[in-house]
Amino acid sequence: MSTGTTFAAAGAAPAASSARAIRPRLSRDDVTLRLLVLAIVVALVVFVVLPLSALLGKALEDHDGAFVGLANFAAYFGDPALAGNLFNSLWISALSTVICVTLAFVFAYGLTRTCMPGRGVFKAVAQIPILAPSLLPAISLVYLFGNQGLLKGWLMGASIYGPIGIVIGEVFWTFPHALIILTTALAISDARLYEAAEALRASQRRIFFTVTLPGARYGLISAIFVVFTLVITDFGVPKVIGGQFDVLATDIYKQVVGQQNFQMGAVVGVVLLLPAVLAFVGDRIVQRRQAALLSARAVPLIPKPNRAVDLTFFAICSVIALAVLVILAVAVFASLATFWPYNLTPSLKNYDFDNMDGGGWASYGNSLTLAALTAVFGAAIIFTGAYAIEKTPRFGAGRAVGQLLALLPLAVPGLVLGLGYIFFFNDPANPLGFLYGGMAILVICTISHFYSVAHLTATTALKQIDPEFETVSASLKVPVWRTFAVVTVPVCLPAILDIAIYLFVNAMTTVSALVFLYSPDTTLAAIAVLNMDDAGDIAPAAAMATMILLTSAAVRIAYTVLTRGLLGRAQAWRRR
Amino acid sequence: MLDKSAPLAPAQYAPAPHVPPPPPPVPYLEVRGLSKRFGPFVALQDVDLDVYPGEFVSFLGPSGCGKTTLLRAISGLDVQTTGSIRQAGRDISDLPVSRRDFGIVFQSYALFPNLTIADNVGYGLVSTGRPRAEIAKRVEELLTLVGLSEQAKKYPAQLSGGQQQRVALARALALSPGLLLLDEPLSALDARVRARLRGEVRDLQRRLGITTIMVTHDQEEALTMSDRIVVMSRGRIEQVGTPDEIYARPATAFVADFVGKMNFLKGRLVTADHVEVAGATLTLAEGIGVGAGAAVTVCLRPEDIVVRAVEGDRPNRLAMQVGVMEFIGNHFSTTLHAVGTSLNLSADLSINDVRDLGICPGATITVVLPPERLRVFPDPPATGH
Repeated sequence: MSTGTTFAAAGAAPAASSARAIRPRLSRDDVTLRLLVLAIVVALVVFVVLPLSALLGKALEDHDGAFVGLANFAAYFGDPALAGNLFNSLWISALSTVICVTLAFVFAYGLTRTCMPGRGVFKAVAQIPILAPSLLPAISLVYLFGNQGLLKGWLMGASIYGPIGIVIGEVFWTFPHALIILTTALAISDARLYEAAEALRASQRRIFFTVTLPGARYGLISAIFVVFTLVITDFGVPKVIGGQFDVLATDIYKQVVGQQNFQMGAVVGVVLLLPAVLAFVGDRIVQRRQAALLSARAVPLIPKPNRAVDLTFFAICSVIALAVLVILAVAVFASLATFWPYNLTPSLKNYDFDNMDGGGWASYGNSLTLAALTAVFGAAIIFTGAYAIEKTPRFGAGRAVGQLLALLPLAVPGLVLGLGYIFFFNDPANPLGFLYGGMAILVICTISHFYSVAHLTATTALKQIDPEFETVSASLKVPVWRTFAVVTVPVCLPAILDIAIYLFVNAMTTVSALVFLYSPDTTLAAIAVLNMDDAGDIAPAAAMATMILLTSAAVRIAYTVLTRGLLGRAQAWRRR
Repeated sequence: MLDKSAPLAPAQYAPAPHVPPPPPPVPYLEVRGLSKRFGPFVALQDVDLDVYPGEFVSFLGPSGCGKTTLLRAISGLDVQTTGSIRQAGRDISDLPVSRRDFGIVFQSYALFPNLTIADNVGYGLVSTGRPRAEIAKRVEELLTLVGLSEQAKKYPAQLSGGQQQRVALARALALSPGLLLLDEPLSALDARVRARLRGEVRDLQRRLGITTIMVTHDQEEALTMSDRIVVMSRGRIEQVGTPDEIYARPATAFVADFVGKMNFLKGRLVTADHVEVAGATLTLAEGIGVGAGAAVTVCLRPEDIVVRAVEGDRPNRLAMQVGVMEFIGNHFSTTLHAVGTSLNLSADLSINDVRDLGICPGATITVVLPPERLRVFPDPPATGH
């Protein structure tokens, strides 16, 4: 019926249905972007997938390298002590998660839904633990509740070395992670729902259970997954304060570093990988639903003052914030005291790292180098990779593989990745073996370990800029790299700096993956904390942990000042 | 048929007044047998289209009709599954965006937020490696062209929507492309600015004589701006014609329905040029080549119903009772019921007519349905859609 065909110029036969399919020719930009996607895919395969396969392979071998199938797993689950540690890990993680998410929810509610005074201060204080290695709260707990602890009496005879210490330490360390997620979840609520509920005369209690809680449920679930994964894969807290109480993470360390039993270490690694992968998959499913929830146009809820509620939350949040500050302060003060708790004269004797185990001040220098290299190269590589995966025209399969691989590290605990690196890069047959033992492998491992969150940050920023920039550029015959450099990077600069800071702080504080990979020349600050604590030098360990905390904090503060001042001027275009 | 609508000769735009016989127009853009499938979904089916030099052509249709898909195929953003496109004699069917010759303006404008207006406009010029002074001159020229030379140092966020739109236009024209593509260029603006920009864009296009294709879902925009309109539905072209033809002589029931308001009357042919509709018999100006007894749909625009000078022996003269009269502002939208039949019509009556003839609800008036204004379409076979 189409009159369009009648309009065709004389002689132009209507195309037959069997017409030749058009294969679009690739422009130079297409080729560049595709090669970038492929480069990222290859890098993630080499630095994440292959080490993991090496780990899996090792778990199926005996000491001589012969294939033994699942024999190692049978041995693992046949050993009541080892299998018991799996149970320990699960219940410790579950308990820590419940406590942490509950406290974080209350705190987040106070921050977003009440008019309590000092919300800015509370928010800032609650973020501090993220700047410290997980070893720091554990050391503080030793000072507070250990054998010579100040508050030992509070435990009424129970010992801090074991489940109690681990749970408190983990709650402290994971609190900011849960808080960030829950603050976001509670902040996006729709005021119209509350107005409707109030108009229908629902009680405050009923509104909380029918509006507030359902609205935040995806955030809650997400926080639960994240905290559970962080706790079950954390190594620092149980190492310092676990005492005779073993969990999966300390098991791996003991098997590998203590007994040189790599096969059993690999088995425990695989066991540890499972809950992390499950939590990862669960979280991805929830995140997808959350996105759908967000797309609705909502009116932001502005809390109204309510003296009773505000004071109640002020009291609760004060207690939580005080606990955070006390735990931080104890480590700092202990490190500055001549001999805690008997001689409190301030001294820097504990900062004389060169006369201690752990590599001395060189460790701190190495950590700075590692953090700087990780931040610079990591931010550049991850942002460029995310750009290629996000903006390459067509090439669906390649981009999908890239996206999947970029998210994979989120499911891989640091200890497992580090162990995989030993097996893969220490293999004499591996041409990349030269990396082993140097700074390069530490940087690569750290970038790989923290790739996913940085990638997601980059992807979110890239999705927010106009999808037609590349088209306009191509129609103006401008090569894609120029638009990337002149437009995309400046527009996404805040996100890129966020990524760099995230990588810097994590490189400063992480222990898990690198504990297997450092060499005498590349000792690191966070690992020095571990080793000094191991050797009984708790005060110097606290001192080094304090140095890490101060460095992370300084970088973060410098970043804030910089973005408000210098960068603010360079980004004048954002203002109207 | 409808293709006798001769496309506007290029002479109308190119200043060549002394050449007596205009040469037969050679299409600037030739689209042949174009189809686009996304999996099982057919977004474009076997589309043929010619666009002539200097023409302003609009692709009009509801969302999902394929108009944007067709534009994206022409631009190379989403290359067609099968079929060919030639631009200025060159086969561009499989070329990437960067090797085609067009400037494009999007609904979002896609201005680079961190670059000044001047840098935005000069963005493509810098990559050509021209000297800095020449680029600056050309940018100044383009900004003057769109009336924004005062704003060169500002950033996009500091301009109004209409101004941003004009910057996007200047940027698209910077490299003097052979073809200008406009993807819903005015949709993000409010009604008043939109109406003004219609004229400005059209003026600019005429002055430059640049061949232009615009995608729009706004029929008013298409009618006011275009030399020719391509009405599309479900991946096919329904009709190609001048705005006047599209409005006055819709080729299909879809076009009749989509463009403007229309009375649709179900009826049956009595003879070749008489149709029986809801108990009334209407005379047609021309037959439609289907036999008597065929089911047909008769279309009549509400404003084509005549209420003045209806005396004498005129065909399709009916006594009608006035039902509801809705005051729209510049006219009354009125329902009419033909006395002694079940025929109901919607009529747009001018304020003058209503005032002079004293038309009011409940009154009975005489109207004429001019045969030359009746469009008749055979109904598709039953169990169609």
